[in-house]
Amino acid sequence: MSRGLQFSLVIGLLALFALFYQGLWGDPRSIPTVLIGTTAPTFTGPDVESGQTISLDQYKGKVVLLNFWASWCYECKVEHKDILRLHQQFKDHPNFVMLGINYQDELPDAKKYLKTYGSTFQHVRDIKGSLAIDYGVYGVPETFVIDQQGVIRHKWVGPIVGQVYTNLTENVITPLLNNTPPST
Amino acid sequence: MIIEIGHFSVVVAWVLTLLGIGSSIAALRSRNADWVRVGRIAVTLTFVLLFVGMATLVYAFLMRDFSVLYVANNSNSKLPFFYTVAAVWGGHEGSLLLWAFILSSFSTLAVWLHWRTQPTIMPYLIAVESAVMLGFLSLIVFLSSPFARLVPTPLDGKDLNPLLQDPAMVMHPPMLYMGYVGFSIPFSFAMAALFSGRLGEEWIKVTQRWTIFAWLCLTTGILLGGYWAYYELGWGGYWGWDPVENASFMPWLVGTAYLHSVLVQEKRKMFKVWNLLLIIVTFSLSLIGTFLVRSGVLTSVHTFATDPERGLYILIFITTIIGTAFGALIIQSKKLKSQIEMDSFISRESVFLFNNLFFLVAAATVFLGTLYPLMVETLQGGKVTVGPPYYNAVFMPIALGLLFLMGIGPYIPWRKASASNLKKNFLVPLIAGLVTVVLLLVSGIHSLYALAGGFVVGFSGSAIFLDFGKISKLYANREHVNLFKGFLKAFSANQRRYSSLVTHIGVLILVIGIIASTIYQTEKVVSMKVGDTFSIADYEMKLLNIHEVEGKNWTAQEGVFEVTQDNEVITKLRPQKRVYTASQSPTTESAIHAINMGHIFLTMPDVSADGVAVARGVINPLILWVWGGGGIMGLGVLLNIFRPRRREE
Repeated sequence: MSRGLQFSLVIGLLALFALFYQGLWGDPRSIPTVLIGTTAPTFTGPDVESGQTISLDQYKGKVVLLNFWASWCYECKVEHKDILRLHQQFKDHPNFVMLGINYQDELPDAKKYLKTYGSTFQHVRDIKGSLAIDYGVYGVPETFVIDQQGVIRHKWVGPIVGQVYTNLTENVITPLLNNTPPST
Repeated sequence: MIIEIGHFSVVVAWVLTLLGIGSSIAALRSRNADWVRVGRIAVTLTFVLLFVGMATLVYAFLMRDFSVLYVANNSNSKLPFFYTVAAVWGGHEGSLLLWAFILSSFSTLAVWLHWRTQPTIMPYLIAVESAVMLGFLSLIVFLSSPFARLVPTPLDGKDLNPLLQDPAMVMHPPMLYMGYVGFSIPFSFAMAALFSGRLGEEWIKVTQRWTIFAWLCLTTGILLGGYWAYYELGWGGYWGWDPVENASFMPWLVGTAYLHSVLVQEKRKMFKVWNLLLIIVTFSLSLIGTFLVRSGVLTSVHTFATDPERGLYILIFITTIIGTAFGALIIQSKKLKSQIEMDSFISRESVFLFNNLFFLVAAATVFLGTLYPLMVETLQGGKVTVGPPYYNAVFMPIALGLLFLMGIGPYIPWRKASASNLKKNFLVPLIAGLVTVVLLLVSGIHSLYALAGGFVVGFSGSAIFLDFGKISKLYANREHVNLFKGFLKAFSANQRRYSSLVTHIGVLILVIGIIASTIYQTEKVVSMKVGDTFSIADYEMKLLNIHEVEGKNWTAQEGVFEVTQDNEVITKLRPQKRVYTASQSPTTESAIHAINMGHIFLTMPDVSADGVAVARGVINPLILWVWGGGGIMGLGVLLNIFRPRRREE
């Protein structure tokens, strides 16, 4: 085996293991959206329970958490308790709003879902799925955090549980509410 | 209490692997054979203890002992018996224990099998096998014990992932692990050759059967995985280039290259460094595959919990093993200069060289595609997905090249082929290949891949049949028997060669199945109500009714579809949308009808409250050839493994 070959073999292996090492600390499921750093698309839609119109514009100047869900989505049920806990944790902060977005769902199913699992905040119906298209949602649950200036600052695909919950509350929402830049 | 015995056994086994390593080193230093005996005892006892460990875990599952965390997480009181046993390897901890158990049974078998004939290799074999074992047992003992208790004891378990409740899935992990672990034996022998400096052909001859056995297991494991994906996942395909599928495919590719390339060293004493490199890469890829699957570094349908700590541990462990192996190879490679140069470009040696290159390029392609998302993320922070289009585009030509070589390799002479020899052996296959293309064109097939595939299948297939025909005739004439008896005699006289050719025939059949079912698959998704009909290809499917059915641990909505062709009822298909009671997870159960070697495949992924069903029909032509080809490949390998031993071996 020639020197050059030996050398490149060693370098190649080192690079591979370095790559694997680096890979350990990432989460392959966290997907950054091109929308991060851009102004959140505005929307209006009927409330799932009351039917009255809700618009994103009415919450300008606040930190808004959008949670896309559906009654047919299993992982949404997984995260539901934690979503309620999250709302409980921040609901008394004057600058925090949480909105559920009901994605591609039948109204009776959605209503039944909220009745069964409980709801403490408002949910907007995304009747045609067009809102989901604006936000680049391709699976539920997905969660977005919009800052006081109306800019999308964070996105998460998958349920907000465990480590994800801690990260979202401590490193994203809390700093935003304190007007310090989030660390993710 | 029982489960603690299991835990204790595994801890003692861990200590024994240390003893195994220590005694082998002592044996090498003192040159005292007693130490090797100690090593053998350590290896054997490890096997016994791990057997006890496995048995206690199986027992805990069968007794529905939900005070054991792993049992509570992976089974349920309603889980059928068959799947309760399989649930042992349904999760991370248990599958690691299975890995270790298979490894210890193989190393014990190898130690006893080769004890007399390979005394000098023994200490190395024990040391390497014990080192790999130590890595897995440490992981089990310190980070992933399946024996941990759960307090308080839940009333019932969470149930086994419904997708894993499938017969093919029961056998898929053990087969795959047997493949991975099986390659550890030739790997250990190669390491022994490197460390001891006995770099001749001996280690290759000794491990020949191990190698094909490992290859058979890995192949079966991969095929079962595909079979499972096809029947259980409900998307109508069997291979999706998912990172975890790729993780098992990469060692297969390099292992297959190794399998062929050792023949050159056996016959011509060439490719020495190359073969060592190939077996090291094969086993390294098996370990890397385990790492990729278990660490959650890549996104995949096999989403297991990600745990950086475990991942880091596995990484350190595989880095040590792989680093040592490559280090030894680099240091010893000076001694390994092949004295023999290749005589001619047109020779069997060179076909084997190309075979190797093609397999390696194929493996590199898959490797790059699998790790590319990780590289991009590390270097740029962006996310990308590499999908089937990349693999199909890059992989198909390589695969066709390999199939072509398959028609040449066995018939071209060693050293140098003459023009007359080439004409004698390859004129007919070439014509057969071209005739196949013409026939395909006439029957209206114009896809380039199908035509290219047709050519290589015609070429290589006819080369094999020509060979069988000639040799059978020769034996029939010599022994004055009929052609069939001549064939049998020829086969048993050259069983190693002809069983390999049987495997080749299996490959060709498999490839025909893959090409047909990939290129000519038709698919249709419709929403329909009871009484509606939809048509796909020349079949009509009428939804007769939707009703509830109940299994032991699930309930389902079952659609009854009547399939007709030219107004003639062929069959009724009953796809289900199941919900497993314990976990409330839904699964889609496909309904399949085999017809003309192909499948009518029907799923019903959704039924809405107002009775509108979403139905998905797929027509997969010649799909049975995929499984049939796989079966013939396996038959060939079995005939190879169980061939009678001959003097020259």
